[in-house]
Amino acid sequence: MADAASAASRHSLPLARSPIATVSPERVCDGWVVSGCVSTAALTITDLTPLTKVLVRAPVDGEVAAMLGVGHGRAVPARLPTAGSDGDDAGGLDVLVVGSGPGEWTVLTQPGRAGDVIARLDGVCAASPGTVTLVDLTHGRALVRLAGDRAVDVLAKECAVDLSPLRCPDGTALRTVVSGVVADVVRRDREPGHDPLAGPEFVVHVERSSGQYLFDCLCDAGAEFGIEVQGFDGLWGSAGMTAAPPPTVG
Amino acid sequence: MTRRPWRAVRSTTPRGDPGWRLPPQPGEVIDRSRSFTFSWNGRPCSAYEGDTIASALAASGVRVFSRSFKYHRPRGLLTASFHDPGCMVQVGDEPNVRGAHRRAEPGMRVSAQDAWPSLALDVKAANALVRRAIPAGFYYKTVIRPQRLWPAYERVLERFAHGGVVPDSPEYDVSDRFDQRHAHPDVLVAGGGPAGIAAALSASRAGARVMLVEEEADLGGHLRWGGAEQLARLVELRRQVADSDVEVLLDACVLGRYDDNLVSVVHRGLPGIDERLVKARVGTLVVAAGLIERPYVFAGNDVPGVMLSTAVRRLVNVYAVRPGARAVVLTANDEGDAAADDLRRVGVEVVHVEDARSGGDIVRVHGRSRVRGVDLADRRTVACDLVVTATGWTAPVSLLTMAGDRPGYDDAAARFVPGRTSDVVPTGGLVGDGTLDELLAHGAAVGEAAAAGPDHDEREATGAALRPRPHPALFRGRTHGIVDFSEDVSSHDLVAAVDEGYRDVELVKRYTTATMGPAQGKLELVNTVAIVAEATGRSIAQTGTTTWRPPYAPVTLGALAGRPREPRRLSPMHGWHVAHGATPLVAGAWIRPDHYGDPGGEASAVRSSVGIIDVTPIGKLDLHGPDVARLLNLVYVNRWSKLPVGRVRYGVMCAEDGVVLDDGVTGRLGEDHYLMTTTSSGAATVWEWIEGWLQTEHPDWRVHVTPVTTAYASINLAGPRSRDLLSRLVQDIDLAAEAFPYLHVRTGTVAGVEDCVVWRIGFTGELSFEVHVPAGYGLHVWEQLVEQGQDLGVRAFGVEAQRILRLEKGHLIVGQDTDGLTTAEEAALGGLVRVDKQDAVGLPELVVASRQSPRSRLVALVTDDPDLVPAEGGQIVGADGRICGRITSSRLSPTLERSVCLGQLDSALARPGHRVTLRLVDGSTAGAKVAERLAQIDPDGVRLRG
Repeated sequence: MADAASAASRHSLPLARSPIATVSPERVCDGWVVSGCVSTAALTITDLTPLTKVLVRAPVDGEVAAMLGVGHGRAVPARLPTAGSDGDDAGGLDVLVVGSGPGEWTVLTQPGRAGDVIARLDGVCAASPGTVTLVDLTHGRALVRLAGDRAVDVLAKECAVDLSPLRCPDGTALRTVVSGVVADVVRRDREPGHDPLAGPEFVVHVERSSGQYLFDCLCDAGAEFGIEVQGFDGLWGSAGMTAAPPPTVG
Repeated sequence: MTRRPWRAVRSTTPRGDPGWRLPPQPGEVIDRSRSFTFSWNGRPCSAYEGDTIASALAASGVRVFSRSFKYHRPRGLLTASFHDPGCMVQVGDEPNVRGAHRRAEPGMRVSAQDAWPSLALDVKAANALVRRAIPAGFYYKTVIRPQRLWPAYERVLERFAHGGVVPDSPEYDVSDRFDQRHAHPDVLVAGGGPAGIAAALSASRAGARVMLVEEEADLGGHLRWGGAEQLARLVELRRQVADSDVEVLLDACVLGRYDDNLVSVVHRGLPGIDERLVKARVGTLVVAAGLIERPYVFAGNDVPGVMLSTAVRRLVNVYAVRPGARAVVLTANDEGDAAADDLRRVGVEVVHVEDARSGGDIVRVHGRSRVRGVDLADRRTVACDLVVTATGWTAPVSLLTMAGDRPGYDDAAARFVPGRTSDVVPTGGLVGDGTLDELLAHGAAVGEAAAAGPDHDEREATGAALRPRPHPALFRGRTHGIVDFSEDVSSHDLVAAVDEGYRDVELVKRYTTATMGPAQGKLELVNTVAIVAEATGRSIAQTGTTTWRPPYAPVTLGALAGRPREPRRLSPMHGWHVAHGATPLVAGAWIRPDHYGDPGGEASAVRSSVGIIDVTPIGKLDLHGPDVARLLNLVYVNRWSKLPVGRVRYGVMCAEDGVVLDDGVTGRLGEDHYLMTTTSSGAATVWEWIEGWLQTEHPDWRVHVTPVTTAYASINLAGPRSRDLLSRLVQDIDLAAEAFPYLHVRTGTVAGVEDCVVWRIGFTGELSFEVHVPAGYGLHVWEQLVEQGQDLGVRAFGVEAQRILRLEKGHLIVGQDTDGLTTAEEAALGGLVRVDKQDAVGLPELVVASRQSPRSRLVALVTDDPDLVPAEGGQIVGADGRICGRITSSRLSPTLERSVCLGQLDSALARPGHRVTLRLVDGSTAGAKVAERLAQIDPDGVRLRG
């Protein structure tokens, strides 16, 4: 431990990187190196890997399930209260809660908030009976967003499941295979009316090491529809949060 | 001397004729304002947009498009459609293109296939001279013996294989010219004729998602070559389709129907893609395949200029091509009559119409590369250059039979008719004949029922019934001719096969290859059955049909293969490895650095200083809950109850039969929190294994398993200077030997990255630390290790160096040094097994095994010749020559400067110092002896505990 004191000064400030190669210009967002490009194409693909991803495991029908407010197969926006507050605080954290399996949820939010999410959930979880597990999977998964009217057609080339609005309406979450890789798919359409990018959106979620492969496959499948890479713009896209704030959980 | 009136027929355009291209026709699809040229056998040929290759060539006076499969007889247009067997051509680098279907394009390079030196003069036509020597099935008899000559036979036969060519070049890559998509229509309609269109429209109006698939480039079926009223109705139908939500796939062919109505469709003509395979999961499949006109069998029926009536009508009305100058028509139905009318209308001299309904027949066609005349039933010979036959229909019931339907033969109509199935329903001409309104009504009723779902009985709902009209049974005339135009099988061949004892139609098919060519029975099946029936003295119903199987039409391998989708897993440091010259090792889906050019040097660096290896693929499972220790006790053979926080233990998993399944270390990070590692290849298996035991046997245990393999980038630092290196990057962990001993685990900050897990474990036998870094920072930490270790001589090492190092240390690899039968005892891991445990997977077997002598045992072997590295998998033989073991791992050790080996050896022989014989790959033998211990370097583990 002789060198420990000076160790910090020897190395540069760490920056996290997605498994998916960036498209220039690069920029840094919340400690992550991300693509800074902007696309106006009708069909875009965005690397959302920097988003915070916390896995929650808890009894299927317990208090945690009730608190998260969504069951297996659905995804809803929500606001996590500050730890210890009564749920009506101004510091609520906007998240997307994905019911990714029976008794399994993935909480997604802006980068660098894993500790915060875990702290906010810990308070509720500690009080509930049954085993509850919170695992930060931010670095364990690659996340890609496909946005545009032809997003369904792109996925139809890579996934055997019927993702049309009839069988897979807004807010659907499912675990399936995309391009030969196990993936969690979330459909989260943008409301028409107050968002210029309104339309179907899919978030595809795979284990990290397959991220570049998946991204390449989706770009290849989307080429005929004129797909373009959109730089990192957060969970809610460049238009920011949806107009109506999501309900506060708890 | 016989009079030969056909000699009077001119073989070129008649005097005063404007050419083979007709003036504008009402239903033509060509755009006369857009003309271009393409090449045919190197010569320019002009075409209009909308022309097929064949129609453009026919309009230029070309009559011979190919040579036949076996006898290389000249072949011309027969059906002028998707199924035409006579005009398969090569287009650029694409072989076997359907010339009568593929649209001509500017600059296309089209050539005839398998004719040498030219289509006009093909030397392989000499086959016809030895026709008697090569009857159907000749190769079953003549190229069997002597067997040693088979390779020579094979080469000769290869030269006669029919078809086009693909470039024989390593650069030839068409993988991006094919792809696939999935679709989920409620109703898929196969066939875009009037009944198919009506079915699609009514299903769509009933709210169903509908896909309408048509093999030709336009919707309409037979309406496309109809009269003014039919064309007007077609315009209206197309307008309705355009206004509907029906998804129309033109130039697309339904290939097959599989269980649960999985329907495969190959779709052409998409921008930038040659072919796309559509995998459609369909609610109800509506088959509206129409009827396919059946050729008539008589002598000379394959001479260019003998055409079906529908071919004539297509050429005249759709492509505005004059099919000949002087025609004889054999007709048994309205379509034949209409063809004669069409010909007269466009100025072709119809010199004779032979009406088969009143006993008329044609006996023989004269000519070789074009028709010159025809002998009629009344012994008259008529000079002509076009013979048109209209002798009946084949119902393409293929898709129905793939769904289990058994069509029956209707004697009166002389064709097969569908039986019944539930989720695949026929409509249109396939079902029966009717007026256009009746066809549309039937289609609409079927479509509406199809939209209601597969359980709906469409026949009860269908008021509009279609029944086949009576038709004369015309298959073969009074002479023998070609039956299978694709395979060059004649009716004479079929009769000969029956005479040889092949009485079953399935055997005749296999013996003669009739119906096995590209036409796949659509033109020749019913004639084949009829001729076999005639030859065997049975009825057609008694003879039955051969089996229709997918694909309905030939499909390219490219379409089936689609776009290559081979998942590839990369570590966060992959780019660094590539940039530093790593040779990739494909390990399952993972691409790992095998070495950076010098595996021996990399291994030496580890022994002398420090090396770092990317071990990210190592499986990692986050285990959380109060019952984790119970789980570990269950799945590992050793004991886990008292592992303190901060400690690590090596564990071995066995299956129920005591066979080694996987191994790895597990560390306890907190009271209820453990991190398990597995082998790289076993990560998914172990996760599934553990979840299986938890979910099925112990659902009451409070354990959550989360796979975190790729959440961490894993880097192993190995070598005597590894502590020195790591200490430069770690601030909050005391790395001293006494504070952080071997088989301990800590969490802390490495190179500024928080939440890292640092282990005192290794696979090389050296002092080593394994750092698990949140993966997004993997490259950062790796680069810091390289930078900070420069003065220590740090070197990246790959999997190959690691294999050398572990072999020197005598560490086994599950799956390499064990196999599907190796028990813990045989893997020299028996000492770990705690048979006094209350329960563990495989325990009963392990208890029994502990009381018996194992079959074999893992040993280290020292070869007499230090430079000899026996091949892995090589046999170990006893004094009596009996196989008594095998080499499981072997490498040359740069440290010991001799080879190191592990092997499985009969336990009776697995004594230290025992001499064995190795049988080498070249058949020679070499001596070796069993080593004292598995580890050849630091057997007491002093270095790794340092």
